[in-house]
Amino acid sequence: MLSRTTALLIAAAFATVGCAHPHEEVSIAPLAPAASKVDPGLGPGTRALSSGPGYKGSPSWSPEGDRIAFTIDGYVVDKPAGSEDLRRWTTRDFVAEDTEWISDDTLTMLGAAPGSKTPSEETSSSVYRARAGKNSLGLEKVANGVLAMTPDREGLICALENRAYESGLMLTDDSGEVYRLYTTPIQGHVTALSPSPDGDQVVLAVRPPGDLETSELRVFDLRKGKGLEITRLHGNQEILGTPQWTEQGIYFVAGKKNTPMDADGSEPLYFLYRVPAEGGAPEPAPGVGEDFVAASIRVSPDGEQLAVIGRLNPQAPPNLYVLDLVAKDLKAVTTNEDMEIKTGPDDLAWSPGGRSVAIVARGTPSTEPEVRAEPADRLLRDFYNLYEVPVGGTPQ
Amino acid sequence: MKGIVLWISGAALAFFFTAGAFLLLANLASAPSDKSLTPDSSSGGSRPALDLSLDEGQLASLSPLPNQSLDLTVNNEGSRQLSDVNVTLGVSSENTSLPDSLYYRQTVEKLPPGEAATVHFEFDLSTLGQPVARPTAAVPEPSRKILEIRATTPEGISAVRTAILPP
Repeated sequence: MLSRTTALLIAAAFATVGCAHPHEEVSIAPLAPAASKVDPGLGPGTRALSSGPGYKGSPSWSPEGDRIAFTIDGYVVDKPAGSEDLRRWTTRDFVAEDTEWISDDTLTMLGAAPGSKTPSEETSSSVYRARAGKNSLGLEKVANGVLAMTPDREGLICALENRAYESGLMLTDDSGEVYRLYTTPIQGHVTALSPSPDGDQVVLAVRPPGDLETSELRVFDLRKGKGLEITRLHGNQEILGTPQWTEQGIYFVAGKKNTPMDADGSEPLYFLYRVPAEGGAPEPAPGVGEDFVAASIRVSPDGEQLAVIGRLNPQAPPNLYVLDLVAKDLKAVTTNEDMEIKTGPDDLAWSPGGRSVAIVARGTPSTEPEVRAEPADRLLRDFYNLYEVPVGGTPQ
Repeated sequence: MKGIVLWISGAALAFFFTAGAFLLLANLASAPSDKSLTPDSSSGGSRPALDLSLDEGQLASLSPLPNQSLDLTVNNEGSRQLSDVNVTLGVSSENTSLPDSLYYRQTVEKLPPGEAATVHFEFDLSTLGQPVARPTAAVPEPSRKILEIRATTPEGISAVRTAILPP
């Protein structure tokens, strides 16, 4: 019996010692430099993804969500989301308009390599691809004369310039290889495109022949190779950025462009609209309020939310909002008061898991010299930098 | 019956022993981490400190021309004399696609504790980025000039200031 009691005590002692932590495990690990930089100008939980000088834009998360690519002063870089280990994908004289991952190791870029454009090609760019691990600055040209591109389930959809007032579509796989070229012409100049929720169709923003503005929305069936106009704006109205196709309809930003007659320096006002995918008259997007001024939009990976950079009214500061498309409920996810948030059509990106949105912002530049007690490459607010904003939870 | 009593008393003994051990280990484990978060005042108190001061009026008078000048003050706020304080001025553009920055260097040989030295730089703000400083498709706004000033000693004490000049 004594031996049983002794055994029990020894077991308890082993359990106790086994649960104890070694001394070094209780120390607090230092945070990765980028992860520790939280900018209070955009609200709690916001994490800086970049720092230092450079005109940054077009963020794009890798499919795994562990890296983010973006442009700096035209050239393309990417980095892990939690560190500052910047990797350059193009030479510094490359001018990229957009970047998109099409697989975990392949990045595509819409832009122009140095000296590649002739005066007659000024309106369109080329799509290039680059693979991680290869010669990082060696780009392969996929197609010339590309007007716009968007990632889809299998790779990339590109709008090509066929003639002056005629466009076409092209599909690539996830390695950037072209596997389908549509012969059906699209009348006009495609300025932006995005896929339908099932990936079988694509919505196109088009500048029709003879029109100065992007005023038409068309849908194009990728299986049948046929297109159809679904709405057209009149009266100097233009479509801004990329329309977003959701189960609740196609959302787009549009407004009246400033004309020389009324160009008083005021910012033109653009609003968020919705149109049924089958076509019809656009209606103000439900749930945002009639004074809401929109700039750029992006649908979430699950298709249930729309990220919107906009203002509650023309005098309000810009913020990032998320519109619940089913509940028709608009929620501010940043609390900005004095930051400039970039409003370019490609300047926001959902993380693949849909838990955060990357945006680009800076403090309002001063007209006087400013002095900071940090090296230039550590500064955040003084330059456009990328921020990860959590949407309904902690970012991944 | 005797066996049951022995089992119960053994289990109770093991419970109290384990609980006591957990309490002891919890106290032992938390003490060092609390201490490590406290700044070490003994080493920080005697550590020499450098500071840099820039004349904002002089910064405002700089223009994108050759022969610009800037005076800055290096302060020794520590308790030991500093020797061979290297002061570098880096001139670059906000546009990072532009080629290399320009660097200028001065040395303060001796800086007694509590004293300050004025360092004078003459530099060129005309060439850097001039051909592409105007807005382009990639950078649709004029780029600002950046002056980064670093003071460092051979012992590794340093101070840094970054001045951002409007276009």
